[in-house]
Amino acid sequence: MSGLAYNTLVVAAAVASVGFAAGVVGSFGVLRRRALVGDAASHATLAGVVSAFLVTGRRDLPTLLAGAFVAALAGLGILVAIRRFTRTRDDAATAIVLGVSFGLGIVLLSGLSARGVAGAGGLEHFLMGHTAALTAGDAVTLAGVSAAVVLVVWLFLKEATLVSFDPAFAAASGWPVPLLDYALVALVAVMVVVGLPAAGAVLVTALVVIPPVAARQWTERVAPMLLLAGAIGLVAALGGVAASAAVPRLPTGPTIVLTAAALFAVSFFFAPERGWFARRRIDRDVALRLGSGTLGPDEDRADVG
Amino acid sequence: MWADLGGMHAWAIASVAVVSAGCALVGTLLVVRRMSLLGDAISHAVLPGIVLAVLAGGRPGGPLVVGGAVAAALVTVFLVRALGSEGRLSEDAGTGVVFTTLFAFGVVLVTAAAARIDLDPSCVLYGILELVPFDTVGVLGWEVPRAFLTGTVVLAVVSVGLAVTWKEQVFTAFDAEAARAAGLPVAGVTIGLLAATALVTVASFEAVGAILVIAMLVVPAATAELLVRRLGPLLAVAVALGVTAAGLGYLAAWRFNASASGMIAVVLGIQYALAALAAPDDGVLARAASHAALAWRVCCEDALALLWRADESGSGGPRTAATWPAWLALTWLAARGRVMRDGGRWELTAIGRMQAETIVRSHRLWESWLGRHAELPLDHLHPPAEWIEHHLGADLRRRIESEVGGRESDPHGRSIPPER
Amino acid sequence: MPSGISTPTLAHTVEWHDVTVAYGRRPVLWNIELSVSAPGIFGIIGPNGAGKSTLLKAALGLVPLAGGSVRLFGRPLAAVRDRIGYVPQRETVDWDFPVSVMDVVLMGTYARLGWFRRPGPEEHESARAALERVGLADLADRQIGRLSGGQQQRVFLARALAQAADLYFLDEPMAGVDVRSQERIFRVLDELRRDGRLVIVVHHDLRTAAEWFDGVALVDMRLVAAGPTEAVLTPENLRRTYAGRLDVLDEIGAAVERGGRTP
Repeated sequence: MSGLAYNTLVVAAAVASVGFAAGVVGSFGVLRRRALVGDAASHATLAGVVSAFLVTGRRDLPTLLAGAFVAALAGLGILVAIRRFTRTRDDAATAIVLGVSFGLGIVLLSGLSARGVAGAGGLEHFLMGHTAALTAGDAVTLAGVSAAVVLVVWLFLKEATLVSFDPAFAAASGWPVPLLDYALVALVAVMVVVGLPAAGAVLVTALVVIPPVAARQWTERVAPMLLLAGAIGLVAALGGVAASAAVPRLPTGPTIVLTAAALFAVSFFFAPERGWFARRRIDRDVALRLGSGTLGPDEDRADVG
Repeated sequence: MWADLGGMHAWAIASVAVVSAGCALVGTLLVVRRMSLLGDAISHAVLPGIVLAVLAGGRPGGPLVVGGAVAAALVTVFLVRALGSEGRLSEDAGTGVVFTTLFAFGVVLVTAAAARIDLDPSCVLYGILELVPFDTVGVLGWEVPRAFLTGTVVLAVVSVGLAVTWKEQVFTAFDAEAARAAGLPVAGVTIGLLAATALVTVASFEAVGAILVIAMLVVPAATAELLVRRLGPLLAVAVALGVTAAGLGYLAAWRFNASASGMIAVVLGIQYALAALAAPDDGVLARAASHAALAWRVCCEDALALLWRADESGSGGPRTAATWPAWLALTWLAARGRVMRDGGRWELTAIGRMQAETIVRSHRLWESWLGRHAELPLDHLHPPAEWIEHHLGADLRRRIESEVGGRESDPHGRSIPPER
Repeated sequence: MPSGISTPTLAHTVEWHDVTVAYGRRPVLWNIELSVSAPGIFGIIGPNGAGKSTLLKAALGLVPLAGGSVRLFGRPLAAVRDRIGYVPQRETVDWDFPVSVMDVVLMGTYARLGWFRRPGPEEHESARAALERVGLADLADRQIGRLSGGQQQRVFLARALAQAADLYFLDEPMAGVDVRSQERIFRVLDELRRDGRLVIVVHHDLRTAAEWFDGVALVDMRLVAAGPTEAVLTPENLRRTYAGRLDVLDEIGAAVERGGRTP
């Protein structure tokens, strides 16, 4: 197999694993109705990537992603501080962190390119995603981190589910709820960073939001939802990369998002029971049975659906 | 540096200032109504609307493009609502799905059609403020940057719209439910607000691009919220902050040779941080100072009450202070004429005695009240009274006294000093 | 038996010692002194916003104490968590969450299992038995959003039963529940009492309180009265509890929050 084909295959595998892990991790954020926390983290990563380059002078992926992770945590930390010390409400706080940190990232990036610093050009790819430049070594890093994240989620599945479903009960039972909370958010931060090369800072939130939302339409249990979210994320990632390979001008971020959105649309309309068509059918059936009197006194819509 | 400031810079600053003012006005309403993230979504989602309009032959800043943006905004809101009601998606999840999808769609359109239309993808993201002064149109014989013209028109439209619907805006902003119940056209007001968001986004496009609109929408308003409370002052302060940040940001970007739009966002962030720290009532510093002031007052009052009780029990005042805060308090009280040293002991002065009696009176009245109203054993009355004695004022003391029947002694049998 | 006076020599099942709770700086519970012993069903009654839930949460360590302490079985909470069962209010949970009835009840066994371990046959048996007791055994696989209010409440109760506790705290278990389910729930509580356990219930309905509880505490930001039900539920006590908020406490609360004196 030629070097180029091998490289492409390895990168594709890595991107697929990133998509899978992002879907799995994002499920908890969606279930806890905190889907957009990742957005604050992701917009901060740009400043982190550029700072890492400025500070170390290196452009290898692990260095840049480490900077991105530090910045993501800093952004989340500022979010927590705003909540704790000011009257500013949560949604405004998220928007502040998002907007200002991204502005900082743009300032740093533009400052670099204005000064004609060598090697700064590639950093622009972190805005919208660009997998073509990934090396096999990069791919191994991404796949490795993704695998580790999935393993952690699998190990702590019952704890994560409990804390997401009923934190008060969990706390009363003696579980360290704040710690588990931070751990779940940190996992999202990790996936947001790992997803940067593929999807870019602006759109990587979609990787942790759209697959879980799509998966939810198909199942009523947590473990299947995680697996399905991972699968949808995987397909979206691969589809997006393939689309961008076909049209080189296209950055990978938007194509991945559109693939995921298409899968979501299919889920939204065609899922059995929760899908749009299915619910029309059930409503019709219930109305018919109500009309003809075949719905028993103890039955309700829940029993029919 | 000042000598360099030519007409070009002035026009650029004027353009972004005008746009920033419009964003601050709209953004204040968004923030107060907790619609910041919807504002974020709209600022991203107008992109495909704009691009489609340009592809259809619209001029940047022209009516077709504005129409496309407003249509995209309404589509966004409709989709988020539909996903919520039909798909049972929570609002945050629905917003996340819709805005990323629409923005991705927009970027694909821009990239794919780059040959045919004049929109640079990076312009989309963070604007090209530096080039704005060079794209001019003729107005009444003057050459004015198109972005400035668009911005001014949008600012005028938004201001007029706000003025005309002022009462409805105020009511809806602070209590949408009550407004609806009172028969106000809340839905109409909301749609107007969302359309206005689309308008200012379009106006901001060339100046700061899509991503940084959110900063200009939300941050001035959030900063203003830390400083003032009512809607009128909020709007004024937000506009002032936004315009200032626009000017300072542009100058800083010019000085440091970096992106103007990014710098404006950073300046806005610094404004917010300063307000969070230094705001008179709510700022971090103010609250820390208030905590410290309370702790000091409690310390001094405790010292006075201690001396008074020592007198009452006949044991005489202490020779030395037991702890260093107590020593500090006594020294301070001495300087203010409340206590004095007499024969090697600390003693109360006449003024100090009056103040001490107020505190002991508060303490014993509270013990009486608690004893009457709560099931507490006798030995549990002292600690709460130790705390509350510092917070009872004269009026409340009189009311408590009349309520507990004007008794003259507390549950322990100790006499309650009278009011002075 | 429940009493309002602390007896230091005998360890009661639950003891609130001088408990004060504040949200921010503002006190919402003032110096609560209350002790209750097993066995029995004990009610905490009072108007809305009186701090009844807060009193429960204080015992469970869910809110920080601004003053005082709580002892369970004569020991601090951390030492005896495995002997406690908790039924929170229904609104605290998103009922669209993709879990089944069985999944939720199994959560009662998680604390026993500790980190990493998954529920095994023993835990499933425990959960099934709990579901039998509340009459939901045949709905074990149903997603929790497709249950009626009374059924949802019984799921929470089954989860608490699966905790196999000696002391149970229930927060408004009868709110929004049909009469039939209420009776069923009470029957389970009665069984627990007969087995020697103590059940503490935050409750809002005076009529059923008189019928079901051995003892009650009347709470309105402070403890108005506590003791055997017939002795405590007098017109005088009820008037003191329900007849309008005590302005004094509100005014002082505001002053404390400001850090100043009342006017």
